[in-house]
Amino acid sequence: MRSKPPETSARVSTPPDDSELAQRAQAGELSAFEALVERHRDAVYRLGVRLLGSQADAAEVAQDTFLTAYRKLADYRAEASFSTWLHRIAANFALMRLRQRKVANEVGEGEEVEDGEGEPSFNSRGSLLDDVADWSRSALDLTLDHELRDAIDSAVAKLPKDLKEVFVLRDLEGLSYEDVALATGLSMPAMKSRLHRARLALRAAIDTFYAERDDGAGGRG
Amino acid sequence: MTTCKDAITLLLDYVDGALPPDVRGRLEAHFGDCSPCEEFLQSYKATPGLCRKALEHSMPDSVANKLSDFLKKELGKAKPG
Repeated sequence: MRSKPPETSARVSTPPDDSELAQRAQAGELSAFEALVERHRDAVYRLGVRLLGSQADAAEVAQDTFLTAYRKLADYRAEASFSTWLHRIAANFALMRLRQRKVANEVGEGEEVEDGEGEPSFNSRGSLLDDVADWSRSALDLTLDHELRDAIDSAVAKLPKDLKEVFVLRDLEGLSYEDVALATGLSMPAMKSRLHRARLALRAAIDTFYAERDDGAGGRG
Repeated sequence: MTTCKDAITLLLDYVDGALPPDVRGRLEAHFGDCSPCEEFLQSYKATPGLCRKALEHSMPDSVANKLSDFLKKELGKAKPG
C-alpha cells in the first residue's frame, strides 16, 4: 500500500504593499523602487496618453514622474496612498506639457468642439427637448467594440482643453476633487462646472454614436 | 416645481450625493415623473466608466524598456530624497 506523501503546508508569501516598498526605497533599496515602477508604470503612462493624446509625450511624462518620485521619496508619508502621491506628480508633469503646448500654439489632434456643444436643449418651460435614449446598460454589458472605442477616443480628444483636463484627472484617473483643484488651480465650483460640461459633451457624443448606429440598423425605438 | 433644466444642471451634485435632502427629494420626484430625464441620468452616470474602459492603455514593452534603461542611468546619479 502506497503511503500518502506528507502534507506540506504551502507558504504563500504576500507581495509587499506599496508603503512597505516605498519605505525600503527610502532606505536606499533600489530594487524596491524598481518594483514600484513596474507596479505603477501602466497607470502613469495611461494618465499621460489620456491627457496629452500622445504616446511619445506620455513616455516622457513617465520618465519625469519616476525620476522625480525617486528624488522626492523623503516627502512620501507611508500613511498616504503611494499611488495617489505618484498620480499627483504625473498629473503635474502632464499638465505642464499641456500648457506648454497652449503657449507654443501647437496644432491639436483634431478640431476642438465649441464649448457648449453637446449640452442638452430645453424649451421655455425648462423641459428637455432632446430625444434621449438610455444606452447605459447595453454599453457597459458588452465588450466595447472598436468603433465605440474610436468614437469615445475622438470625442475626448475634441473636448476643449480646459474641460478635458478636469475630466481626465477626475473621471478617468480618479483624483479627488481637492487634488484636481490643486493641480489645475481652479476653484471647486469652476472645476465642477467644467467636469459637468465635459460629461454632457461626452454623453452627447456617445448618444450620437448609438443613434447613428440605430439609424443604420433601422431606427431608434 | 423642478424642471428638466433644473434637474440636469444639478446632476453632478446629485450623482455625488452632495445635494441637501429636500432638493434631492424634488429631483427624485422629477426623475420618477420624467422618463427622458431618468434615461438622461442613467446615461450621464454611465459616461465616465465607459470612457475609462475605452481609454485603457498599457505601456508598450519598448517604452517600458526605455524607461527602465533611463532610470538605471539616472538613479545611479540621484540619491533618494
